[in-house]
Amino acid sequence: MSGPVVRLLGVRREYEVGDTTTVALDGVTLSIEESEFVAIVGPSGSGKSTLMNLIGCLDRPTTGTVEVAGEDVGRLDDDALTRLRGDAIGFVFQQFQLLPQTSAIDNVAAPLLYRGERVKAARARAAEVLATLGLGDRLEHDRTMLSGGQQQRVAIARAVVTEPALVLADEPTGALDSKSGDAVLQLLESMNAEGRTIVLITHDASIAARAHRRLHIRDGRLTEAEVAA
Amino acid sequence: MNLWTTVTLALSRLVAARTRSLLTMLGVIIGVAALLALTSIASGATSSITGSFSSLGATTVTVTGTGPGALTEADADALRGTPDVTLVATTASGRGDVAFGGDTEQLALVGVDAAYEAVQKPALSVGRFLPSFPGGAEASTVVLSTSAANALHITAAEVGQPVTVDGRVFTLVGVLDDATGFNTSGTAYVPLTAARDLFARTPYVSSVLLAATDTAAVAGVQADADAILRARYGLTADDPASFSITNPASVISTIGTVQSLLSLLLGGIASISVLVGGIGIMNIMLVSVRERTREIGVRRAIGARRGQILTQFLVEAVVLSVAGGLIGIVVGIGLSALVALIAGWALAISPVTVLLAVLFSVLVGVVFGVVPARTAARLQVVDALRFE
Repeated sequence: MSGPVVRLLGVRREYEVGDTTTVALDGVTLSIEESEFVAIVGPSGSGKSTLMNLIGCLDRPTTGTVEVAGEDVGRLDDDALTRLRGDAIGFVFQQFQLLPQTSAIDNVAAPLLYRGERVKAARARAAEVLATLGLGDRLEHDRTMLSGGQQQRVAIARAVVTEPALVLADEPTGALDSKSGDAVLQLLESMNAEGRTIVLITHDASIAARAHRRLHIRDGRLTEAEVAA
Repeated sequence: MNLWTTVTLALSRLVAARTRSLLTMLGVIIGVAALLALTSIASGATSSITGSFSSLGATTVTVTGTGPGALTEADADALRGTPDVTLVATTASGRGDVAFGGDTEQLALVGVDAAYEAVQKPALSVGRFLPSFPGGAEASTVVLSTSAANALHITAAEVGQPVTVDGRVFTLVGVLDDATGFNTSGTAYVPLTAARDLFARTPYVSSVLLAATDTAAVAGVQADADAILRARYGLTADDPASFSITNPASVISTIGTVQSLLSLLLGGIASISVLVGGIGIMNIMLVSVRERTREIGVRRAIGARRGQILTQFLVEAVVLSVAGGLIGIVVGIGLSALVALIAGWALAISPVTVLLAVLFSVLVGVVFGVVPARTAARLQVVDALRFE
């Protein structure tokens, strides 16, 4: 892919609650290149969730430009934004967020089905990805039959099954014990080593230290504390 | 995601939460079952009534005078000339006190002529009908309907005993069989001449019965009889007449109208319960959308468009209502069969009603699924993901 995976130019995001306007992000400019492993670090309320929503095509900026995989997010309607999200972004959430009453394989196949792929092909691809993540024997288990670490690996499989330009991981170890959390981080590191672009959002500096590049966010502003690892 | 995948997904969800699904469907199940059972019972009951009516000589046209002296012997003689008529019987009706043992009942008293038995073919449970040529001792004979005999506490063994009619002694020669549906009210039949004596009116004709050659001729006989009588009285076709002419077909068609109205009424009531069932589905689906807000957020995040979420919830509502409808059809047919078995009539389930019930449940699912599905589709992804 030519050009950066993500580019933000002078981004401002305001929220209106009643009569008051809250500025969650202001003057944010950043660029994430292909194959980078970037951590966005900040305390709660710093605006990192807002930043994640913008990078993840879940939200649009009030002013400024957000480009993901070369597309100007602000110009897309809801369906087009959803398509871009489905194609370009793979989400990993803190609480895993596997679909309830749905087997591991069907969780992983779901993004492919929403893109219009056939059930048989989608399930075959999902089984393949789960097998590479060591979950080949857990295909038909639903989330109640999987440990936290296993659930997060299923979630990672679901995030990468579409071969997205970017994996967006929001506190991916937050609900895991340190051993499982470390395994998840190792998995993300090895995926990055294979060329996958990863953005990790965390409040934990020690986890952020695993990334190659760190962006600190505080009070809605990205501080130029980019330090190469 | 194609529709079939969405349907199988919805089905597996509903099976996973089967108690809740069943309770949600209950309204539609009861509604559809009631719809089917009630309409089937209505049509079973009316076809059983219609059946017994047509067994009573579907070829008899009855001319009845609407007041005393409205019809005469001369009218009856004129009606004998009606084309396609094989037999003509005349009757003279009134009321009389009939006494046996210590009991006295006021009954309908019908004087019938010799042709009456051949025209109406009354079925007897005991004894015989009135003699064809009443004379001498035979002139004072009487036949009672079952209910009249029961009212007077007359047993089968007492046929042949004397019975008093308006103070005159008659011999009881037979009792009619009510089971065929022929005159189930309390009636005493006596020879025409005896009736005229009792009423002290000669000649007196209250109705004339015309036996048409076959059922196809009935309508023609009715029209011809009307024309003959109007000509005799100098009436045009639009003038009010002092007689009315009925045939069994018109009674049967009246019953048919009653059946349609009854089915419509019962069907309407049952449809309301299907609608209430639909509201139940909407209610649960709205709760479900709220409970599954996060799931909806995740689905939207991983690439589900609004339309796909809308379809998912709409399909779930339709699957619920259709499943309820199908269960309702099975229950409804079972109920109808049970009632038919107990009442002893043929089970009447029209495929049209079944098809309508299915279509109706699809419609209910769509109508009441739209609101929850739109609510689900309109959720903001960011808010839905953060929803606790």
